Amino acid sequence: MGKKLFIMMLHGPEDPELATIPFVMATAAQASGIDVKIGFQGRAIVLAKKGCMEHVFAANFPPLKDLVDTYIDTGGEIFLCGPCVKSRNLKEEDFIPNAKIVNAPTFVNEVMNSDQVLVY
Amino acid sequence: MGFEAHKTFDARGMLCPMPILKTAKMIKEIEVGQILEVLADDEGAKEDFPSWCQQTGHEFLGMEEEEGYFKFYIKRTQ
Repeated sequence: MGKKLFIMMLHGPEDPELATIPFVMATAAQASGIDVKIGFQGRAIVLAKKGCMEHVFAANFPPLKDLVDTYIDTGGEIFLCGPCVKSRNLKEEDFIPNAKIVNAPTFVNEVMNSDQVLVY
Repeated sequence: MGFEAHKTFDARGMLCPMPILKTAKMIKEIEVGQILEVLADDEGAKEDFPSWCQQTGHEFLGMEEEEGYFKFYIKRTQ
């Protein structure tokens, strides 16, 4: 079994740099053969809305959408915090197809099953 | 240093993390035991390629400094 990295994201499109860096780390980890999963909580939820990532650009990094596409194509998964989704009156169909709505026990399970965790 | 590379990949001008993402793909295009040459102009690359090799197990053979860029030599080990 390969190594596992879990990344928790808390920033959304209001902070393009902190919305992009987790996917920079994730794709770099994947390029090192590491299995990566990403969780979105709080404002990060908005990023997973259809049509949002396309508009997030941080200086000196590739466009967020390109990184997310690479991440998904390489087998990466995205988990969305269920209560955070409800707070924003959003539903599963509002999100990109690869994002899965979960709750705290799933996040705890993913964290405990990972070798390392990064929080942004 | 004079390593004989079987493939050269030009990562100059690419934004992080693209050089390492593309390198991970390129190394699969050579045979085990062959050498990949990567050209990069990012100062951080001097640390990045040895680090990537440490994580992946590929062998970092060394680097050469050219005018405004670096040449990195990586041997595919698996």
